[in-house]
Amino acid sequence: MAGVELRNLRKSFGKVEVLKGLDLKVEDGEFVALVGPSGCGKSTLLRILAGLEEETAGDVLIGGEVVNDLSPRERNIAMVFQSYALYPHMTVAENMGFNLKISSKPKAEIKARVQETAEILDLVHLLDRKPSQLSGGQRQRVAMGRALVRNPDVFLFDEPLSNLDAKLRVQMREEIKRLHHKVRTTKIYVTHDQIEAMTLADRVVILDRGIIQQVGTPTELYRNPANAFVAGFIGSPAMNFLPGMLQSDSDTARIELEDGSVLTAPRKPNHPRDGKVLLGLRPEHIMLGEGTGTSNALTGRIDLIEPTGAQNHLRIKLGGQSTTVVDNNLTEVELGQNVAVHVDPDKIHIFEAGNTA
Amino acid sequence: MTKLVRLLPRISMQAFLMVSVCITIFPFVWVAMMGTHSRSEIYSSPPPFYFGTRLLENYEKLLEVMPFWTVLGNSLLVSVLGTIVTVLFCSMCAFGFFAYEFRGKNIVFGVMVASMMVPPVLTLIPFFLTVKFLGILDTHFALWFPTSANAMGIFLIRQYMVTSVSRDLLDAAKVDGASDLRIYWSVVLPLIKPVLATLAIIVFIALWNNFLTPLIVISSPEKYVLTLALRSLQSVANTPWGAVMLGTFMSMIPLLLAFLFFSKQMMAGLTAGAVKG
Repeated sequence: MAGVELRNLRKSFGKVEVLKGLDLKVEDGEFVALVGPSGCGKSTLLRILAGLEEETAGDVLIGGEVVNDLSPRERNIAMVFQSYALYPHMTVAENMGFNLKISSKPKAEIKARVQETAEILDLVHLLDRKPSQLSGGQRQRVAMGRALVRNPDVFLFDEPLSNLDAKLRVQMREEIKRLHHKVRTTKIYVTHDQIEAMTLADRVVILDRGIIQQVGTPTELYRNPANAFVAGFIGSPAMNFLPGMLQSDSDTARIELEDGSVLTAPRKPNHPRDGKVLLGLRPEHIMLGEGTGTSNALTGRIDLIEPTGAQNHLRIKLGGQSTTVVDNNLTEVELGQNVAVHVDPDKIHIFEAGNTA
Repeated sequence: MTKLVRLLPRISMQAFLMVSVCITIFPFVWVAMMGTHSRSEIYSSPPPFYFGTRLLENYEKLLEVMPFWTVLGNSLLVSVLGTIVTVLFCSMCAFGFFAYEFRGKNIVFGVMVASMMVPPVLTLIPFFLTVKFLGILDTHFALWFPTSANAMGIFLIRQYMVTSVSRDLLDAAKVDGASDLRIYWSVVLPLIKPVLATLAIIVFIALWNNFLTPLIVISSPEKYVLTLALRSLQSVANTPWGAVMLGTFMSMIPLLLAFLFFSKQMMAGLTAGAVKG
């Protein structure tokens, strides 16, 4: 097992700079998810880690050693691909044992290790089948088995669940998590699905346009997003952003929205300077009703009601903006109805006006 | 009546196919029949359209006028060696164009594809001069080796690879620790078997039927291949046409066997990519 470190890692394709100086340290045995929108450079980063792509500048360290000039084989990493990339002409056992065969391991050892891995992943009864005879979930497990059988220092996952249907994705997510508890190897997991990243990873790295926006535990990212991009990216439904003017003193931040309504929140050191700002309100933090004396009260008209069963998603016009509100109490409301809502001052986020996810 | 109208397109198509098949196989049947007749029977009017009784006589005559089995061996040697080496070289070259990025790749590939448009007859004299310069005139090597990395084969295989070999597979093999040669041999080659079979049969037929190259390269009768040897019989006085036809028919047998052996995979190769799998 080994930790992974990136030092000022850069990658350009021609004149386009895809990764703009990344610094990151992944501890030994840690599960880190790289998450970001399409084209943010997360797959490129993974390919550089794997040795399939060459970095333009900077260093990649695995187990404390610079591996820039090492081939994928020499890095002792294993990778699970989005398309599974199973060899179609080989059986499951041959797919899993291919690396060991290349390494000239004795046949008996190959057989034993494939069998052992197959037992962990419940693949024993499929060992003689070809990939075309397997379901999506089974193929995914074989792809993981192929990586696992090698006993690598680092596991790399490139959106491994994106080809599966929703139900199977949840099931496989659980399996990956269980696997990580069994085999505590360093894992770097690329996905564009923030739920996947949040549920699986010890820490999540948010990438946007080749820059790391924030690194933290799922809870940190949710509670204290570093900027509007992270705030908008983490959480489902996504955070609401309302433009406003900030006026603050040493204790209180006072934000006036476009329609003149005013919200107050405790002043925090990471708040931007007074002036134009973006107010961030998570849909689940906006409550229907007047609230208590300390909460911020607003009123708005209901434009849309989306029942999801366990909760209702309401679109309410607040502060001049259409805003999503999650109502866990399934309150009886009607389209066009004016309702009062309130927000706990501690749950208000204030960001510099600019980029959102 | 309506049933007949409904079946008419099908019947017409089948009739058309049957006529086409008859036209295609007529020369084979004709040659087989003529191989069992004497020269005078062949020249009789109307010519005999049935199997005769002179098969053994013709066979004896054939062995008398040419060393048939030696010549057949020469043809087999040239065709089999040429086919194996061509399939190997073309697939290696195609793998290079498919799997690697290098400066000028598209230009080299474009020039190579453009070279397919040059009529082969136009290259005969330069080919002769090159072979002479290399000192391989009058050798079988000159018949199969110079065309073993041909543009058509490389193009055919490379296009097949593009549609049927995922780049993720190459990456997965690299991560598994496979060398370039290993990736080519253990991952890519098994996936392109149909197109290899297609190219093999095309090259085998081309080398077997090749007349022009042996004509300008080979001068020693003991090194003749079938096409050259059978053609040389026409200069014999009172050409024994029965024997020539028998020899011609016998020379077709290896081709038929090769086609029977490869036809299934060849069809798969020719139709691959036509329908998304």
